[in-house]
Amino acid sequence: MSTFRGEAVQPKLIYKGAEAEIYLQDWFNEPAIRKTRIAKPYRVEQLDEVIRRTRTSHEALMMHEVKRLGVPVPAIFHINPSTATIVMEYVKAPTLKEELNLLPKSTKLAKCENLGIKLGQMHAGGIVHGDITLSNVLCDSDSLCIIDFGLSTYSEEDEDKGVDLLLFNRVLKSSYYDAYESLFKAFMTGYSSSSGKSSKVMLKKMHQIERRGRYFDRA
Amino acid sequence: MELSCLGIESTAHTFGISIVSENGEILSDVRDVYHSTPGKGIHPREAADHHSEVAAKVLLAAFNNARTAPDELRGVSIALGPGLGPCLRVGATVARAMSSYLNVPLVPVNHAIGHIEIGALMTGAKDPLVVLVSGGHTAIAAFSGGRWRIFGETEDITIGNLFDMFAREIDLPSPAGPEIEKLAQKASKFISLPYVVKGNDVSYSGLLTASLAKLKSGGCLEDVCYSMQEVSCSMLAEVVERSLAYTGKRELLLTGGVAANKVLQSKLEDVAQLHDATAYTVKPPFTGDNGAQIAWTGVLALRAGVVVQVAKSNVKPKWRLEDVDIPWRSGSTKTNIQRC
Repeated sequence: MSTFRGEAVQPKLIYKGAEAEIYLQDWFNEPAIRKTRIAKPYRVEQLDEVIRRTRTSHEALMMHEVKRLGVPVPAIFHINPSTATIVMEYVKAPTLKEELNLLPKSTKLAKCENLGIKLGQMHAGGIVHGDITLSNVLCDSDSLCIIDFGLSTYSEEDEDKGVDLLLFNRVLKSSYYDAYESLFKAFMTGYSSSSGKSSKVMLKKMHQIERRGRYFDRA
Repeated sequence: MELSCLGIESTAHTFGISIVSENGEILSDVRDVYHSTPGKGIHPREAADHHSEVAAKVLLAAFNNARTAPDELRGVSIALGPGLGPCLRVGATVARAMSSYLNVPLVPVNHAIGHIEIGALMTGAKDPLVVLVSGGHTAIAAFSGGRWRIFGETEDITIGNLFDMFAREIDLPSPAGPEIEKLAQKASKFISLPYVVKGNDVSYSGLLTASLAKLKSGGCLEDVCYSMQEVSCSMLAEVVERSLAYTGKRELLLTGGVAANKVLQSKLEDVAQLHDATAYTVKPPFTGDNGAQIAWTGVLALRAGVVVQVAKSNVKPKWRLEDVDIPWRSGSTKTNIQRC
């Protein structure tokens, strides 16, 4: 039974992330995802409210912008910043994190290269993702769908783009330490093909950012 | 006779020597801390001079308190890094001399691993997501495939640096965390400051600049301390929550000097509760740098056969914790043991 704004049908909690609760619910007779950023007891209310509200409206805006760049993202149906809620298209696909453990090696490399292409397209269009982890990429049969744009920003700066690369590098390094070099290499091949940036220049930038952290050799 | 290990810590302001038995009993834990001039940070050479001056006294007290004779030791462990070169060299010199004279193995220990292992010993945490916070570290790590893997960390200064560098401007001595915590309790309002989370990483340099700017433009000191502490700890809590959700760990272990901060403790307890995990916090005196963390890690490493020749025991000021093989934890591989 479908009703106005899908709020009358019993939604089902399908995922509890660090930031938001993800519900599967009905939206005019179609399944939809409702993402609600929940209040955090560890942040003072004043800070928490601003973070949840601004990230919600910002995320919706960025998803729209990214879609215009030709990068697959879920379609947005409804936004309510005051309850920190977005209702969006339900993409029925596993995350890349789940998929990477199951796929044969050549397919793993292809998926990483494809993700590199998608991130490169975003960067070429002046948008950085800000939280590019394997959980934030959905693996459709032949394409990748990118989600979770709460930390994304507009930027033409190599500095910000380099942070995206560094974050993804860290994710691979901590979770796929044995295969991380080949996976990251495939990712960078895809990235440089679509970002208009040379792999060499961006890797140099990434290492420069990394070295500002603790106990990295500055040489 | 029981295997006991003497550990030496001298990576930064603390010169500490401790003797720990094989079953993790801390037989002695003696420290002498170098205090910088208020308004200044640690001067590496002055700290090293301090360490040289107190070394003999601390060593003697460590033996006396433990009621252990030098010939009862089965190994000498030394924090070879990361840390300040001049300070590291003082501890390393004492350790090499002890190892050679007593003819017992010299065991290389990474200071950060020491914080983790003493935390696990004191709290009973088995397979935690570790939150290591101190003047030298702000890192989130989980054990996998024989090493501690970094899931998030600071991209510039640490949370300890943030507090200390802020404190220098108001002429407080380092480490200044406890003083800032006290000032924050007298605050009357929250001031908006930059909250910078990048994926699972944090960045504190902008928060430091903005906090100092607020102070210089006439902001109330207590309010700035409160707001800076709130924002920095909330940022960390958020990335810890992200890593906890991502790794699915059931335990959280807060360790390192800044683990003594009550606000941070309470925020991480909240995070653990949200994800049905158990929060463990190292209690003082084992939050701050100490010899026991090096001695206990020495016991574990020695048992797994990790030793170093004196001639090759160079200090490693930039020894990252993710580069250390850990053969003594389950899930680790015995191959490729780190021998420096």
